[in-house]
Amino acid sequence: MNQQTQDQQNIQSMEQAQPLWKMILTQFSEHKMAVAGVVIILFFILMALFADLISYASGLHPHRQNVSGRYLLPFTYSEVGSSEKETAVENWINQNTEVAAQLQAEIVGKNLLSVSEEDALYELALMPKEEGQEILKQIETVPSSFNQMLSDFKKFHPFGTDEVGRDVFIRLIYGARVSIGVGILSTVVAALIGLLIGSLAGFYGGWIDSLLMRLTDALLSLPLIPVMIVIAAVDLQKVPVLADFVGSGYESIIKMVLIICLFSWMTVARLVRGSILSLKEREFILAARTLGCQDHTIIFRHLFPNVVGPMLVSLTLGVGSSIIFEAALSFLGLGIMPPMASWGNMLTNAQEVIYKNVWLTILPGLMILLTVVSFNFMGDGLQSAVDPKSIKR
Amino acid sequence: MATYILRRLIQTLGVVILLSYVCFYLMTLMPGDPVELMISSNPKITSEDVARLRSLYGLDQPAYKRYLNWVSQISSGDLGHSRTYRVPVSELLGPRLWNTFYLSMLALTFSILVALPIGVYTALNPGSRMDSIVSMLTFFGISMPSFLLALILIIIFAVQLNWLPAGGTETIGADNTGLAGILDRAKYLILPVLSLSLQSIGSFVRYARGSMLDVLRQDYVRTAKAKGLSYHVVIWKHAFRNALIPIITIIALSLSSVFSGALLTETVFAYQGVGKLVYDSIMGNDFNVAMVSFIISVSMVLLMNLIADILYGFVDPRISYQ
Repeated sequence: MNQQTQDQQNIQSMEQAQPLWKMILTQFSEHKMAVAGVVIILFFILMALFADLISYASGLHPHRQNVSGRYLLPFTYSEVGSSEKETAVENWINQNTEVAAQLQAEIVGKNLLSVSEEDALYELALMPKEEGQEILKQIETVPSSFNQMLSDFKKFHPFGTDEVGRDVFIRLIYGARVSIGVGILSTVVAALIGLLIGSLAGFYGGWIDSLLMRLTDALLSLPLIPVMIVIAAVDLQKVPVLADFVGSGYESIIKMVLIICLFSWMTVARLVRGSILSLKEREFILAARTLGCQDHTIIFRHLFPNVVGPMLVSLTLGVGSSIIFEAALSFLGLGIMPPMASWGNMLTNAQEVIYKNVWLTILPGLMILLTVVSFNFMGDGLQSAVDPKSIKR
Repeated sequence: MATYILRRLIQTLGVVILLSYVCFYLMTLMPGDPVELMISSNPKITSEDVARLRSLYGLDQPAYKRYLNWVSQISSGDLGHSRTYRVPVSELLGPRLWNTFYLSMLALTFSILVALPIGVYTALNPGSRMDSIVSMLTFFGISMPSFLLALILIIIFAVQLNWLPAGGTETIGADNTGLAGILDRAKYLILPVLSLSLQSIGSFVRYARGSMLDVLRQDYVRTAKAKGLSYHVVIWKHAFRNALIPIITIIALSLSSVFSGALLTETVFAYQGVGKLVYDSIMGNDFNVAMVSFIISVSMVLLMNLIADILYGFVDPRISYQ
């Protein structure tokens, strides 16, 4: 009896009309790896968005170098050198003269340190962090800026430090911003270019079609990395429009996005042209035309929904390959310029640093691999979800 | 057929000429032309000297005029001198081209030899445990950037285990003749070939599996089975030979991506191929070398694509070149 009612319910739910997006969503969620990919991508994107917050909370800074804490392994502490400490204390005293005098007097007055008043703060900064904290506990009001400075002297590095002593963990997080950002931005722009060129070729046919498709084929047959290297080596100051961006700090990102766009619109263009050519001849378009639909209705209501699915798939897969291109060019030293971090340029010196600290290569590499695999799985899931032949109902 | 080949040849030539001009123009936009480099190496240089040097090198002329000069110089057989290596470009290029040829052909052969059996096996046993493991692995293979794999291989086999050299082309100063020479070269080729082939193995396995599955569903395979032919004859004579056609296209199309990857692999492994030459000469402002090596390597890829297209017609008699 129970079984029967369940069957009936199933049949009823099957008879109900489902909107297309719901069918796609159900189909997509059956692809476990694709769902895992989406979760990982969302996690990385959230991480990238809250990079400033994470930096503030952990007290780690992506550009802060520390000569005395280079090549540290994961889960280690770093301490800045004594001469840097002394300069920092001197600066602090010069900036907060009155507070410093008060603090110095209090330390010596309570006999916590047996040195002269002028040396008290220096002595405090130079001693190990725990002992210093003990002393500061006995003082009523410690200025927060002084505390901040002391805690900056000793840092915990969950992923270690790189060849100039920068924290790898926070650089990976800021790198996510650049790498994923460049990947998504360049793919979206490339998809728009591809959409434009593909639809122009598909709609008009004739010489426009053959010209655009020759161009597409020519670009597709080129070995991309050498060509990209030649373009990436160009000095932006000598290019008329782009020279304005030089010095804004974002010029290497703009250059990267432009180069990747230039060489990744072709797949979308071919896809759109192919779909349009085959759709133009289909009965439902003829029916729409016979019913007296206007051109824009046909394009937006009948052609577009049929193209958007495959385009979404190629967009998702495109993000993966854009991230690889960015990583490869930055790895060669032609992409994102330091001090800005990207997963690719964190690998720039990999050949030398693997002898000192392998984590400097493994961690950014793992991030690139995880992200690209996730985007590819997501694309795979979308592909089977939007393909009407594979929808199981 | 002849007109088809001729048309394609002319198209390829057109692309090469266009690309060489674009490349020449881009090189003028790169930081540091020859005279700027001389200025930085000689602080006593006067502005009259600079002007004289610029006109001597023809740098005061517009880009298209310099391009035409360069083309006429090239076509008279003079490829120019390398500034970094102090030898004629033609002398530099030959061995480099061979090195890259060995590397990419070995990688391509290796990936075909590995991928085809795996692809066919998984197609014959779809849905099996092996099939799902392989599809997972190919996914990672496709997503893995080749330079990353190269770095990981160096960490494992060169730094940790110390089995293979971390980079280079051959042992310097060693006797490089005969069998010993070949074995020495082979030692330096193992890691680059492995890292270069993984990505193509991934995509070849997927295409081989897909195309084989497709063919196995065809009517003629069912007919062959119904006739009572043995399993082997059906699989290898009827199915596999037809499944090869799309696989050959993919292999031919992957030539340019193998070459792209070769540049990165050569750079990571300091392997003296033409890809590393392109990269080094661009980074070192060695314009003569950069132009010639870039144009030659791109034309080789385009030519190989063309040859693959023509061979395709022999494999698949249904294709006619009109």
